[in-house]
Amino acid sequence: METGKLIQQLGKHKGTSNSSALRSNVGCISVTPEASSAFFTALKEDFAFDHCSLISAVDNQSGFELVYHFSIVGESGQMLEVHVDLPRDTPTIDSITHLWGGADWHEREAYDLMGIYFIGHPDLKRVLLPDGFAGHPLRKDYVYEIHEEEW
Amino acid sequence: MAEMWIHMGPQHPMTHGLWNLRIKVDGETITDAVPELGYLHRSVEKIGERRKYFMNTTLTDRLCYASAMTWTHCYCLTVEELMGVETPQRAKYIRTIVLELQRIASHLMWLGAYLPDLGLITGFLYGMRDREMFLNLLEIPSGGRLLYNYVRIGGVKRDLPPGFAAKAERVMQTLEQRLKEYEDLYDNSKIFRMRTDDVGCYSASDAINWGITGPNLRSAGVAFDLRQADSYDAYPELDFTPVTTSASDGISDCFSRYRQRIDEMYQSMDLIRQALAKMPEGEVMADSVPVRASGEAFRRTEDSRGEALMYLVGDGTDRPYRWKIRSPMFTTVSASPHFLKGYKVADVPAIMGSIDMCIGETDK
Repeated sequence: METGKLIQQLGKHKGTSNSSALRSNVGCISVTPEASSAFFTALKEDFAFDHCSLISAVDNQSGFELVYHFSIVGESGQMLEVHVDLPRDTPTIDSITHLWGGADWHEREAYDLMGIYFIGHPDLKRVLLPDGFAGHPLRKDYVYEIHEEEW
Repeated sequence: MAEMWIHMGPQHPMTHGLWNLRIKVDGETITDAVPELGYLHRSVEKIGERRKYFMNTTLTDRLCYASAMTWTHCYCLTVEELMGVETPQRAKYIRTIVLELQRIASHLMWLGAYLPDLGLITGFLYGMRDREMFLNLLEIPSGGRLLYNYVRIGGVKRDLPPGFAAKAERVMQTLEQRLKEYEDLYDNSKIFRMRTDDVGCYSASDAINWGITGPNLRSAGVAFDLRQADSYDAYPELDFTPVTTSASDGISDCFSRYRQRIDEMYQSMDLIRQALAKMPEGEVMADSVPVRASGEAFRRTEDSRGEALMYLVGDGTDRPYRWKIRSPMFTTVSASPHFLKGYKVADVPAIMGSIDMCIGETDK
């Protein structure tokens, strides 16, 4: 499917806005967290996006933003970038691990480093940092503790 | 028999790099597995937010010690997309050549690391010996043997010297002969086949859902190669189709993953020859490269291990506001419990070795 046609069809979904084409085979769209679950299900089942490339969490200071990159495994290399804005005090969204198994650790990483909570994730715990680590270091308001040890 | 948990790692001959694999066993059979990461986490993304765009190429080199060139290239491509820099045509060809040389070196290192896992110690020496020839080649333009810092934002550091093509050709002819020897040696080796045939199997549809990419996906018969699908650098001008292998229809096992990488080395040599023949004259660096950037951009490339993707957000300063890296092995390791279950403890090195792990990029 052409990118122009794809984003036009996706733009009809509930809760979507700002659809545009980034490159000839890359589309971009925003969706609200409430509508995200139904939107992602449609993406997988009706639009054949079978591969979840990456979930990036961005700290925008006023709130958080999740950026999903989905792609179709095929010669066209079709990709879609989905932006979801989350409020700063309750950064929660529905998990997509039941749709794409590959999203599992990306969600864990976003929780670990940025403190985003994914509802329905089977095992949401830290992946890179040790258990018991305090805080989420990729947040802009994270304060480094400097340990000065006496030798 | 009572089930129990066994730790394989973080210090274990099976783990290439520091990581821990906890396996639950019933006798000799694996019933569950939990990979644990983080021992090599250096927080590259956070460090990168404090450094200027051009300074980060030294960090990306260190993402993967076996494939430094491809990671720096992915970063430079993303920054160029963000800043709107156009690379000169000759630089695109040079990048293609060094990327393929790096891919061969990385696959040879994998071969050298995988065979001792199966008890074939001489395989290690063969793999390292041949990799050395490619490190010598990469040293000619970059001056480095492990970390190159050769690909830069806007092009490459310096031009290939005269006589490079002839040297590369000699090396590739030697490797072709040796690869044939290795195929005779390993493909027909009963021990090697017993350890790899029908071990660590997964289907193409499962692999796509779990996010497995690169050689590990193509070894299940899926013709998906980002060099073709996402055409960057000189790849659209070269004539090639993705190579695939499979154990049986749409199933990948350890042996097909071994075959896949051997076949990819042949393909890389073909691509290097094509690029060397077609390479135009001209500049190797863009005239001007901005220092500041705003907006956001992402690019993905075919790393030696799969899909590498970088996402950058700029806020108008000379440092990235957010830098996110997708490492192919991070996702592949997350799927490993699926293809470890049901096999024996002795199969763990064969299975985990066959996916070509690199902890440097996995832990970031």
